[in-house]
Amino acid sequence: MNPTVSPSAPPASPRLRGSAAAALIVGTFALVVASVLLLLGGGLLRTPVEIPFRTTFQILLHQLSDGALFPNPCVGSAVTSAQCATRVFIVWQLYLPEVLLALIVGAALGISGATLQGIFRNPLADPYLLGISSGGTLGAAIVYVYRIHPGSLDVVLPAFAFLGAAATGLVILAVASGRSSSVETLLLSGVAIAYLLSGMLSLILLDNPFGAEQVTFWLLGGFGLASWQVDAVAFGSVLALGAPLAMLGRELNLLQLGPDVARSAGVDARRVRLVVLLLASLVTAVAVAFTGVIGFVGLVSPHVVRRLLGTDYRLVVPGSAAFGAIFLVAANDAANLVFPSTVLPVGIFTAFAGVPFFLLLLFRRRRSEPMRGA
Amino acid sequence: MTPPGTVPALRLSHVSVAYGPRRALQEVDLEVSRGEFLALTGPNGSGKSTLLRAALGLVAPTIGSVELFGTPLQRLSIRERAHRVAWVPQEEPLREDVPLSRYVLYGRYAAHGTFGRETEADRTLVASALHEVGLADRGTDGVFSLSGGERQRAVLARALSQGAPLVLLDEPTTHLDIGHQLDLLHRVRALVRDRGLTAVAALHDLNLAARFADRIVVLARGRCVADGSANEVLSSELLARVWGIDADLRQDPSTGLPYLIPRRLVADRPVRPTPELLGPVHVVGGGGSASVLLRTLADGGFELSAGALHLLDTDAETAEALGIPAAIEAPFAPLGEATRSRHAELLRRARAIVVAPFVVGPSNLANLEDLRAFAGTVPMFLLDRPPISTRDFCGGRAVAAYEELVARGAMVLHRTEALLEALRQGLYARPTAAPPAAGGRPTVAAER
Repeated sequence: MNPTVSPSAPPASPRLRGSAAAALIVGTFALVVASVLLLLGGGLLRTPVEIPFRTTFQILLHQLSDGALFPNPCVGSAVTSAQCATRVFIVWQLYLPEVLLALIVGAALGISGATLQGIFRNPLADPYLLGISSGGTLGAAIVYVYRIHPGSLDVVLPAFAFLGAAATGLVILAVASGRSSSVETLLLSGVAIAYLLSGMLSLILLDNPFGAEQVTFWLLGGFGLASWQVDAVAFGSVLALGAPLAMLGRELNLLQLGPDVARSAGVDARRVRLVVLLLASLVTAVAVAFTGVIGFVGLVSPHVVRRLLGTDYRLVVPGSAAFGAIFLVAANDAANLVFPSTVLPVGIFTAFAGVPFFLLLLFRRRRSEPMRGA
Repeated sequence: MTPPGTVPALRLSHVSVAYGPRRALQEVDLEVSRGEFLALTGPNGSGKSTLLRAALGLVAPTIGSVELFGTPLQRLSIRERAHRVAWVPQEEPLREDVPLSRYVLYGRYAAHGTFGRETEADRTLVASALHEVGLADRGTDGVFSLSGGERQRAVLARALSQGAPLVLLDEPTTHLDIGHQLDLLHRVRALVRDRGLTAVAALHDLNLAARFADRIVVLARGRCVADGSANEVLSSELLARVWGIDADLRQDPSTGLPYLIPRRLVADRPVRPTPELLGPVHVVGGGGSASVLLRTLADGGFELSAGALHLLDTDAETAEALGIPAAIEAPFAPLGEATRSRHAELLRRARAIVVAPFVVGPSNLANLEDLRAFAGTVPMFLLDRPPISTRDFCGGRAVAAYEELVARGAMVLHRTEALLEALRQGLYARPTAAPPAAGGRPTVAAER
């Protein structure tokens, strides 16, 4: 088993039919375009300037075709070329990267939630339960409060958030590689570390109340840092870390029978556990670095996918990536729609929108599916 | 054991395993030949599961080595091990429902690894594994919808689909009813016979082990204490020593295999009443009329003798199983002089005589008639249910003998409880004629 596959390997499931995969990709693409069109073009999102529906559409096509289509995207609305450039900027440089970042981060959280639930055999496992996000927030807080400025704050803050999250993941990994550590020990260690980090963060912020405002971004999550460069870095790293995770479906399936049975069937349970912990921590760290803590996506996505597609981890892992992506874009749209004037942290919205939906799914279990002790 | 020149499927050499300070296995040597069905047995905590787990590489021996088909275990990757040995655990806790055919397909993992894909050949293998366990038509059903017996067969199918030539089963029948126990072991037996599979099963039920396995290995406190065929291994002595039970060992007349009837814990062996008040109670029986009585009296702590019985008679077998001295005649023969004098010897030594309600015919009429000499000299009890008139096949001679015994003071009783009561009173009431031999305390205390 060699999990470090080429980053270009698509996280496709062997059983996901080509047509279904195509439908998913087209559907996701349509959602992204619709998000941009609806919110900006439909005037639902309060922007400094009003951009008509048609102009938004034309700007998208203009940019996508590298200027070949609609050489003047603002045609039809009486605006100057400088005003037009502003509109192009808003659509292409502000809002589209935001939607794409939501897509990437949603996929990252979905995939790490699914694989962590798989190795812990616990439906509550979640990248944030293990303290990975707290580590990220702490990293950002340390930079801001103690004014560590080796470079631009735009680079240093995400970098330290990543380092904080990744370091937390590595601590859990170190606990996991101890010979006698059971899955339960590991999960509890993660929870304990999360509390410890939260405590340290509170202590730092108590000492430096002015740092709190900036740190709040990481605490509550949002897409304010989105840009094409950020999206490119996020996309590249999430693909590189997520693709190997998506290949582990068969191992995760067998791990559900217990580590010993999995091992007797040829799965190196320990190694799978370490690989998943490492990659899921890093993929979460990437998400935390750019968008802060967006709760609930990693927890809920695998559950929804299991209800929809069944329990096969070969489907659950890539499916959770897809659902997480769509869910987060939709949550961001909804947050913008409902509170257009304020930048409502999307983490709040994922919780408000997701919890009722999740509970509904839980209580509407099929009859043929008895409750089993977790 | 392994014929020379062939490599055994499994070899444990001097294997010790410790869980912290607790030593689960101590210097176990074991070889399992290819195509053998070995039953591993022993009390709880004797190391059966640990031995299987060591063979699977799930626990590492502190010392000693494990070889699978001639290759040391630690030289094999986890997937290579899975090619050689499959495991049927005691229970497999599933968190989520899975269609049966996909569950069985999980067993094909070792063949492909992370990047391989299941092919049509795998699906054929899965179908044949499901067929072997009798679940061919249940492939699309969820595993949760299977009954306990079906579930365990599904686990077996998953292990079989792995394609390993050696299968280890850890108490596979524990949660199953008797029918499913037979079914499962029967299927394993058939796989060993027809597909050349090698199977090692930890089993608690010694009768099932004797019936299905080629060989039985007994573990006690982490050590191998017996190894051989069922007839070689199972003995009263071993059952008492390893499991701490008293059991009757019989032979199944149709298979020649031993089977056992557990009686009680050795620790619960009755402590006999004070020896100076007791001598042997002699039971006259035959034809199975005295078996329950002998058992009851033995459990009641009485020292016993029996006679005159015919070989192969149920009462003779019971007397033998309980280690009761008895006068035995050849099967169906009339009681001869030698037997009768041996019987008379036992009767003379008896402190009380009990006459079981046996059927009296020409071959054993002497049993009744010889008692006349003793009636009135020792307490004699006649158990007369069913009554002697229905048991007399000697044209009234048995009834006549019976009446004579009663006339000389024998007591007629109808219930075993009444007999026990009477025996106790009768024996305790009479002072001993002879003083007890010094140090002669034939009690259980010494045996324990």
